[in-house]
Amino acid sequence: LRQRGRIARAAGFAVVLLWSLVPIYWSLKTSLETEAAANAQNYVPLHPTLGNYAALLTRSGDLPGQIRRATLNIVIECGAATIITVVLATLAAYAFARMKFRGRQALFYAVLATMAFPAYTTLIPLYRIMSDFSLVNTYTGIVLVYVSGFLPLATWVLHNYFTNMPIGLEEAALIDGASRLRVLRYIVLPLARPGIISTALITFLFAWAQFLFPLVLSTDSSTQPLTVLIAALQGRHVVPSTLLNAAGVFAIAVPALLALGFNRYIVNGLLAGSNR
Amino acid sequence: MRTASSPPDETQAAPAAVSPSRRTAAGRRLVRRQLAGRPPEGRERATKGLPYLLVTPLALFIVGLALVPAAFTIVESFYRVNPLDPPVRFDGIGNFRRLFANNVVLTSIGNTALYVVIGVVLSTVLGIFFAVVLRRPFRGRGILIAVLILPWALPGVVEGILWTGIFDPNSGLLNGVLSSLHLASHGSVLLGDNRWLTIFLIELVQVWQITPLSALLVLASMQLMPEELFQAAEIDGCGPWQSFWRITLPLARPGVAVAIVQALIATLNVFDQPYVLNGAATTGASITEQTYFISFQNLDFGGGYALSLMITVSTLIVSLVVVRAVYRRIDY
Repeated sequence: LRQRGRIARAAGFAVVLLWSLVPIYWSLKTSLETEAAANAQNYVPLHPTLGNYAALLTRSGDLPGQIRRATLNIVIECGAATIITVVLATLAAYAFARMKFRGRQALFYAVLATMAFPAYTTLIPLYRIMSDFSLVNTYTGIVLVYVSGFLPLATWVLHNYFTNMPIGLEEAALIDGASRLRVLRYIVLPLARPGIISTALITFLFAWAQFLFPLVLSTDSSTQPLTVLIAALQGRHVVPSTLLNAAGVFAIAVPALLALGFNRYIVNGLLAGSNR
Repeated sequence: MRTASSPPDETQAAPAAVSPSRRTAAGRRLVRRQLAGRPPEGRERATKGLPYLLVTPLALFIVGLALVPAAFTIVESFYRVNPLDPPVRFDGIGNFRRLFANNVVLTSIGNTALYVVIGVVLSTVLGIFFAVVLRRPFRGRGILIAVLILPWALPGVVEGILWTGIFDPNSGLLNGVLSSLHLASHGSVLLGDNRWLTIFLIELVQVWQITPLSALLVLASMQLMPEELFQAAEIDGCGPWQSFWRITLPLARPGVAVAIVQALIATLNVFDQPYVLNGAATTGASITEQTYFISFQNLDFGGGYALSLMITVSTLIVSLVVVRAVYRRIDY
């Protein structure tokens, strides 16, 4: 019976690995082949080449320039959205977790309520607001929308983290006369570092994955992130599948490395965020 | 007070660094006030205003870019809002009537129902399976969890691109494997041909994305279960299969409920995967895709508002029903 258990365990292990990795492997494989080789259907690239990546990133022509621009855009947008979200969420979550003030409950329920309805509910009004303020095709417009979208979850995750932290040290500091802000800076922030890292990673990954909002809010290449450009490439019939897969692998490199490297933080953050 | 320099070990040293000196008269007064449970004099007003200062940015974002827009969606779904047909005017249930008279919209509602059913069932079953695999500690479990969450972390659009390579009728993995197993003739399984198959294949890509979170949620609730329960069951002659159905699954209900709700929200609002894998073709278009086409290609914002209001309301209702039906509070 124990033998059978071990076989079942190994089989389950294999299923998880295959399920997660085969699509990524297949894309990586295709991206390392020439067009002719890709059509021949081998399970491994027989003559691997970096030619597609060279064509994508360095060769002359429109494409490398567009890819570079879209990469810059996605990094700026995700970076700015993550920093602003984490800072504002930390301040608010601390107030919710540790301070009493009028309107606390009402505001906190408002935060929870915004998490309950799907993000796309506000797609059209947000587009019309941004276009009224001439913020379509600007970094500001996209970052504002991202921050508004990610703040509720970030605040919730950090609020849960703060309320689970021992309060003793903070109280001692307050009694000793430290101001709230000093307590936040010197006691809460260092203790909450894992929670803050989780929140930042999750926010960054969410921002990197955005598609419909930037599709609507950036109609030209000046602010289009990589995801929007790649979807547009896929619609062009002149782009061969090998090149398209190279672009895909390029676009998932950053989130994939973050997920593999920091999986503990991400898992903890996701679980803290879903205990409703 | 020696407040300017930040000590190297911040956590430990901070309280000591700011404690008021008992040597001065003012310091003694401060200490006495604190012992009496009153906040220090000068700081009183600052502390009172501080929480509002801390939550104001959040409140501005929530009100300005979430609650106000949501109110817009609700109100303006009863208005005719179309830049090509001004002015904005009240239209009663006109938007809803036009939507229900539009066959493309009706098809997309049917398609979305299929996405939801396939996606929720597959992601929940697979999620429970993965959670069972990962439940007990073993060597390499950390790596397996890292690999498991990988699809969750990737953008849906790019996942669509990755899977086009698998579904490709000529060079794709799926057709290659099926034809070498003689299960299907080469190139016969493809997107955009048959509605059910198209929707199934597209939803498979979304299931790939949302299953990791389902698995984690179920796994978290499994890890709360006391091991003695299973030992006792085994002593009483309960096999692994039976203990899964009789003990594990019922006790995992809180996790399963949350997993189903997240899958519901994701599948009811599916956009990226059908948009990339199937374009504007109506064979697999979802409601969110139609909302996008109606609002941003036909510029019929009123219709878009009405359609997104309907998705939102159905998401909320279905989530509530699921929580009611599946969720059970469990105390150990």
